[in-house]
Amino acid sequence: MTIFIIQILNSFFYAAVLFLIAAGLSLIYGVMRIVNLAHGTLYALGAYVSAWVVGSALGHAVSGTLGLAGLLLLLPIGAVVVAAVGAVIEPTLLRPLYRRPEEYHLLVTFGLLMIMEDVIKFLFGPTPLTAGLIMDRMGSLPIGLLIYPTYNLVVIATGFFAAIGLWWFIYRTRFGVILRATSQDRRMASALGINVGRVYIQAFAIGCFMAGLGGAIVVPAQAAVLGIGIEVLVLAFVVVVVGGLGSLEGALVGALIVSFVRTAGIQFFPEIELAVLYLIATAVLLVRPTGLFGRA
Amino acid sequence: MLLDVKAIDTYRGPAHILNGVSLQVDKQEVVCLVGRNGAGKTTTIESIMGFLPVRTGKIVFHDEDLTSLPPHERAKRGIGYSPEDCGVFPELSVGENLMISQWLGEEIVRKRNSGQRSDPQAQAFSVFPEVQNLLQRQGLHLSGGQRKMVAVARAMMLSPTLLLLDEAFEGLAPVVVNRFTDAVMKIKAMGISILMAESHLGAATRIGDRLYAIDRGEIIFHGPPKDALIDEKVVKALRG
Repeated sequence: MTIFIIQILNSFFYAAVLFLIAAGLSLIYGVMRIVNLAHGTLYALGAYVSAWVVGSALGHAVSGTLGLAGLLLLLPIGAVVVAAVGAVIEPTLLRPLYRRPEEYHLLVTFGLLMIMEDVIKFLFGPTPLTAGLIMDRMGSLPIGLLIYPTYNLVVIATGFFAAIGLWWFIYRTRFGVILRATSQDRRMASALGINVGRVYIQAFAIGCFMAGLGGAIVVPAQAAVLGIGIEVLVLAFVVVVVGGLGSLEGALVGALIVSFVRTAGIQFFPEIELAVLYLIATAVLLVRPTGLFGRA
Repeated sequence: MLLDVKAIDTYRGPAHILNGVSLQVDKQEVVCLVGRNGAGKTTTIESIMGFLPVRTGKIVFHDEDLTSLPPHERAKRGIGYSPEDCGVFPELSVGENLMISQWLGEEIVRKRNSGQRSDPQAQAFSVFPEVQNLLQRQGLHLSGGQRKMVAVARAMMLSPTLLLLDEAFEGLAPVVVNRFTDAVMKIKAMGISILMAESHLGAATRIGDRLYAIDRGEIIFHGPPKDALIDEKVVKALRG
């Protein structure tokens, strides 16, 4: 029973991280119709920057002056940096391509992925970075006869509040109405006085912030290593294929499905864990090509 | 002069659509631009709104050259637009559709600070009171006539001084056409000028103060609507 509870918590942990990444990917696609292949690398950048900031702060702080709360507050810096990078990428690299066919978007974002992977290697070196001290300081909670890292519950809570916050932001705020209007008909939106270019920058930066936040919150639990962005991008694509690209609800349900199947796979059929995920994605594509919540 | 379109040339891709089109709209005036499908009416409206770049010529509004401004800046200067397909956001409620232009309309009224037409929402609802009963409904679930009403009401909420209506009567039942004719008159009485692109000469002559006829991207007639009815060139161009 205890192991069962822990596996459920592990599933929610993965789901929280995957939701943040997939929701950003979906938001960007929903508004700009861009499939951003560099999204996973933005997640990696968030992880690296946060780990570096936490490491640097610990290196410079007088022993004991930087408490746990201070370290936790440093983590979102990675997400903010990634959002700022996104705000530069959208108007310079992506905007000239909106009128071109999708293969151009894929080529440019793939090129961006390769460049950013090298930039990360250049800036942070090949050695993995971690903010594991945060996880150590938070300790563990006893669950039955086993223990569970307290920090993982912080990640789960972050994912939960991010889902509620994003839903509220998109469906209950003025900017959300403008965002949805722009995603449905950008021409008409501009005729109503909306500066579509500015909305695109903001939407892309928010999408990047989500990816960066995913990386930032995961780095105390898992080290930032070269290639993590590509690994997570593949899983994020499975999430959006299952849930439906462009749908927030789809990103949430897809993240939960992928995480629970993955956790069960690691536990019961580790040899074919990823194959099962791809089979589910294939089945959804065959039965409902737009995903569970996507629209044609 | 409210709007002065000066000899514009517009292209759609490589196709040269408008060839030296000039037209004017005065304050509190309804001007109709008639022509058959493909004559250049929508291209003219879209050029004025800023969706298509003008290669030569000028578009002057309230004595300001708008030629190089993007559409959202033109909307901010008081040009409301209702496209042929209405452009109602399908997954937004009617209330949300109206809200977007209302926000900008309030800003425009504040900047204008004239103290005259301060409640564009009340004005829009006085022209189309039935829109108030549709506020919760999604744009997707509106009938053709309802979509047209919402599109015009939404454009009015921007607090415009000029409304561009592209084929406002297209596809409407005769009873609804009469309803829209009354609406145009009410809007004009509020001091808002209207430039309407229209395929039917009959409808245009009933409501227009002045009329332009366009054929193959060139203005072939300009004058009082009753004169257009007896102009051989206009009648021939509209019949095809």
